[in-house]
Amino acid sequence: MELVVTKNFGNPQSWTLESYRNAGGYQALEKVLNEMTPEDVSELVKESGLSGRGGAFFPTGLKWQFVRSDPKTPRYVVINGDESEPGTYVNRYSLELDPHLMLEGMLIAAYACNATLGYVYIRGEYGLGHERTQAAIREAYEAGYLGQRIMGKDGFDFEVTFRRGAGAYIVGEETALFNSLEGKRGNPRYKPPFPTNVGVWGLPTAINNVETLSAAPAIIENGAEWFQNLGHGEATGTKMYCLSGRVAKPGVHELPLGTTARELIYDYGGGVLDGRPLKGFKPGGASSAALGPEHLDAPLEPRSMAELGTIMGTGGVVVYDDTVCMVDAAYRDALFFEEESCGFCIPCREGTPNLVQILERILHGQGTMDDLDLLEDLGASMMSSFCGLGQFAHQPVRGAVRAFRDEFEAYILGR
Amino acid sequence: MAIHAGAPRRSTLAPGDQAKLDDLRARLADLKDEPGATLEALYAAQEVFSYVPPEAVTMIAEELSLPESEVFGVLTFYTMFHRKPSAKYVLRVCRDLSCHISGAPAVLKALNDELGTRVTEVTEDGLFETESVSCLGLCDLQPAVMVNLEQHGPLDAEKARSLLADLRAREA
Ligand SMILES: Cc1cc2nc3c(=O)[nH]c(=O)nc-3n(C[C@H](O)[C@H](O)[C@H](O)COP(=O)(O)O)c2cc1C
Ligand code: SF4
Ligand code: FES
Repeated sequence: MELVVTKNFGNPQSWTLESYRNAGGYQALEKVLNEMTPEDVSELVKESGLSGRGGAFFPTGLKWQFVRSDPKTPRYVVINGDESEPGTYVNRYSLELDPHLMLEGMLIAAYACNATLGYVYIRGEYGLGHERTQAAIREAYEAGYLGQRIMGKDGFDFEVTFRRGAGAYIVGEETALFNSLEGKRGNPRYKPPFPTNVGVWGLPTAINNVETLSAAPAIIENGAEWFQNLGHGEATGTKMYCLSGRVAKPGVHELPLGTTARELIYDYGGGVLDGRPLKGFKPGGASSAALGPEHLDAPLEPRSMAELGTIMGTGGVVVYDDTVCMVDAAYRDALFFEEESCGFCIPCREGTPNLVQILERILHGQGTMDDLDLLEDLGASMMSSFCGLGQFAHQPVRGAVRAFRDEFEAYILGR
Repeated sequence: MAIHAGAPRRSTLAPGDQAKLDDLRARLADLKDEPGATLEALYAAQEVFSYVPPEAVTMIAEELSLPESEVFGVLTFYTMFHRKPSAKYVLRVCRDLSCHISGAPAVLKALNDELGTRVTEVTEDGLFETESVSCLGLCDLQPAVMVNLEQHGPLDAEKARSLLADLRAREA
């Protein structure tokens, strides 16, 4: 299987410019600058089907076209490296092992967007990722891949600023991230207008996940069709899936988008820890509702996960065995969202602690069957939340009630 | 929404901290002209003091030409900023899903028992404090702990105790 975004991970000192160049690095950028127009680049990326790996799966080439089409300047490219979704650690690997790949992808995006300024924003906890990314930016400046007249190309200038977060999941939401970059509290902004028109500092901004941008160089080099064929049908390309929870071998695996959970867990993860029975799994981080073992053969890609009432999310697959209490697991999710709610809007600020309280009641044997309906109703009311955090926070709880109702009833009925 | 406990807004400076304030002012000079540098300014204060005292908030507001309320608002939004003196080694124990079902509660308990402290309480020698935090993005190291920004895991109670022993040995 051909690798796109993890291909250099095994190379010695893979994070250095020397190693990256030895592996053919910055040749895609050279090709873009010498042979392609900005339109060519966004069209090619559109055709490849590359879509946002941050979890929303928005078509990347289209995003770049929108940014280029906005007459306001300067335009920005922002790398979203805030990765804080529980169960997700794929960006960490890219930042530590191949920061130049993401920078080359960023430069390709900048060319496609006619953007001249950029930010790399990494969550505050990724210390090693900060070091290696900052070193890579320095190396790229010294080698003329960043700055003025990049690779000798007249009119192609791009300046990058490195920024770190300081602990806040919500800042991964794109408009909250802009506020954080502007030195403010990380509350989200109303959409529309969308970032492609009104992004950081009110200017047109292409914000992309680390993994999305890391896929761009290989698409330039190998073409759209090549990338399409790596995936499954409409789910084109590869995805970095990562495994954690009650799995024998936690780790990152780059596989075709649309790989099944069965393949991922059993062929790549060594199966369930200690060979125990699988109770369920989360397809993509805390925001995704868990599925039971009957869905092991569903492809892990956005459309089929939506059909099952959950989301593909980040590809952070969390495995549950028979030792895990699903009421407690739902409670953990609720605690996370309660802690991370930014407090800006009422449905989420009030709804997340309410979810926690109801689940605590159930866990303490004081719940009633009405509480299960209440969780549904509360969740429905949280759909009116201002941003995705509140709109998703109740999904894992409601999903658990639906898929593992007998466990909730056992607490309530005192079994 | 997390309401992060912190010191009230009265001076927490020790005698002799004037030199630290001067140090901070010098560091802020580099950030003055950089738009949106509030987080970096707060990091600078935390590097100097181990936390962000009220005097630093005032100074950042002055130097970056921002309302003090805005700087304070940013300070209280992000969980990695401390508002009371923090330990030399902050042990961040992940409490989220993957770590939780892999034994994180036993790790946190072992650390707190060994230190004789509760979460966010600094040991008397100023060396250690534990924090119970959201997913660190180290889920492959479940249950994971960060010592400042250094990655550790997978841990259990015994490995948690030997991690402390290693850190103490570094100090010896
Ligand atoms: C609550 C919340 C948290 C998010 N966290 C992240 C994140 O950590 N990293 C990320 O790339 N996208 C995150 N997103 C999605 C971003 O808003 C945005 O869609 C993404 O950065 C766009 O890049 P992409 O198209 O390359 O995925 C988050 C969204 C929400 C609602
Ligand atoms: S939904 Fe939650 S995180 Fe989003 S704006 Fe409202 S309170 Fe903040
Ligand atoms: S769940 Fe603990 S580091 Fe991610």
